[in-house]
Amino acid sequence: MDTPPQVDPAEQFGVVVARRLGFGFWIAAAWIIIIVAAAALAPWLPIADPNETGVGGRMDGPGWSNWFGTDNNGRDMFARTIWGARVSLIVGFFSVLLGICVGGTLGMIAGYFRGIVDRIISFSVFVLLAYPGLVLALLIVGLAGQTLPIVAMTLGIVAIAPIARLSRATTLAYSEREFVAAARVLGATDRRIMVRELLPNVLIPMGALTLLGMAITIVAEGGLAFLGLSVEEGFSWGKMIVLGSSPRTLREGPWVAMFPIGAMFVTVLALNFAGDRLREYFDVRELGIGAA
Amino acid sequence: MIVLARRLAQLVAVVLAVTFLAFTAMNTLGDPLFNVVGFVAAVDCDAVEAGEIEDISGQGGTTLGDCAVVAEAREEFHLNEPLPIRYGRWVGDLIRGDFGTSFKNRMPVSTVLADRLPKSLLLMGMAEVFAVALSVPWAIAAAYRANRAMDRASTIGAFGMLALPNFALGVILFYFFVVKWQIFPSRFEDDNLALRLKSLVLPALTLGMPLAATYFRLLRTDLITTLQEDFVVMAKAKGLSNRWIMFRHALRPSLFSMVTVFGLNTAALIGGALIVEQVFSIPGLGRALVEASIRDDYPVVLGATVVIATGFVIINFAVDLAYSYLDPRVRRES
Repeated sequence: MDTPPQVDPAEQFGVVVARRLGFGFWIAAAWIIIIVAAAALAPWLPIADPNETGVGGRMDGPGWSNWFGTDNNGRDMFARTIWGARVSLIVGFFSVLLGICVGGTLGMIAGYFRGIVDRIISFSVFVLLAYPGLVLALLIVGLAGQTLPIVAMTLGIVAIAPIARLSRATTLAYSEREFVAAARVLGATDRRIMVRELLPNVLIPMGALTLLGMAITIVAEGGLAFLGLSVEEGFSWGKMIVLGSSPRTLREGPWVAMFPIGAMFVTVLALNFAGDRLREYFDVRELGIGAA
Repeated sequence: MIVLARRLAQLVAVVLAVTFLAFTAMNTLGDPLFNVVGFVAAVDCDAVEAGEIEDISGQGGTTLGDCAVVAEAREEFHLNEPLPIRYGRWVGDLIRGDFGTSFKNRMPVSTVLADRLPKSLLLMGMAEVFAVALSVPWAIAAAYRANRAMDRASTIGAFGMLALPNFALGVILFYFFVVKWQIFPSRFEDDNLALRLKSLVLPALTLGMPLAATYFRLLRTDLITTLQEDFVVMAKAKGLSNRWIMFRHALRPSLFSMVTVFGLNTAALIGGALIVEQVFSIPGLGRALVEASIRDDYPVVLGATVVIATGFVIINFAVDLAYSYLDPRVRRES
């Protein structure tokens, strides 16, 4: 292992910031921004109506009039890919948000108060983790119904356990630190310590986790789609891939499945890459000015 | 011995907690009776008996006789008892090895499991074999010349592989190998072992390639770290060949994180198998679970749940045992 040269931490921080995020991060971020903007602005973009049949011929290959070709109903695949991003991204974002709000809070409570509260929360997390998340999601969606809020909520519930574990571990590490002891000596209440001292430190690893978690939930939604359990109304990338992946459709027009696959792949790649970079960037220990 | 007892207690606790959750959810969110007797299940039979409702379905033909069927089914599956008692009864049956009866075709759940589980196990086993067979040589080659072109290319390749969801990979493989080149059969063929293995090649690759990428990343990093240890320098100083050092000295202590993830990944593997079975239409445990949960066939769901949770805990226990084999230091500590 080559040890980094010893420099003044402040100076190093400035230098490292520019080097670490790197060119790749900005490409990934640019893609994420483009896809989010396209999804958000889909109704106002000059693209075909995603549900209008006969925009092109049946199963037209990719070309100038229909960039991504058309499906077996003559619907424009380019417009559908953009509209499909809406559901995928909404599910990805809101499920991670729910996971972080609930899981993050539970983890902080467990890590801060320890004792019996910690025991109960940790056991629940252990049980949830002892069961494949997708199977859990399948049970909930299968029983509760296939609407957008339920799908997003279910994937959020599945995300609670791993997030709670991370948040508990981070809280445990920080609640031993001097600044927490100092706050306690000054007479700060538990609530104040948790919100003002611990939360900012726990939120940092959570931030990077948001992007990685979105990648995971977007894929998980696609998995649900393959089990026939994605949203019933509207369509996501996952559902588009399912529709395009019957042997017949694959034979006649592989692009119907391949463009949504491509869109999902590039988006997940970008989220993973940006998330990884952010995590490294915020991992103070790697910069050599950390806890040790 | 104490470790074993603690593990057993853990196993029982996890299985109980998971099945209780599933049991409650299935009974409150779904209507198990619907699958036994059909739409009549939703009918308010008290009202029918009181003569308040005559034609229940709106299509005629629903009579008091149907209510008798409902009552009978309720009796047969003990659905008229309170939830905790039914759960207790289910656990009692489970201890005696009775998984209950499927609502769908009234087959014993154990028969369904015995039919479906081997296919899923074969699929997952093949996937792990592929993953290890791909990742270990790949990681050794990459770590041998770390940071050279080959190493960089494979690191990027592995990162990309991880961003490709397994169903997407499945569709791509299906397109090329089944639809376009027609090398593999389009559906699961169960006639003999050779055919079974052949029709599982693509699903196992679909499941195994992302795993291989995960293993590759971990093993490569660990190997590079191990190769800088003193005992490797010592081995080099003794004049041992690079190959000997790599395989006899460096490989074993580097398998640590890979084995950890092997255990942790089991949940992902089971979830993945669920989807891959769906993509390639393999009648495995995952498909049984999907079908049963859509139909509220909860004896089957619970049976599959028990199998999955038990398997998961056992594999993690096996991983703990593997540690002490891989690194003697762990053995001495415990």
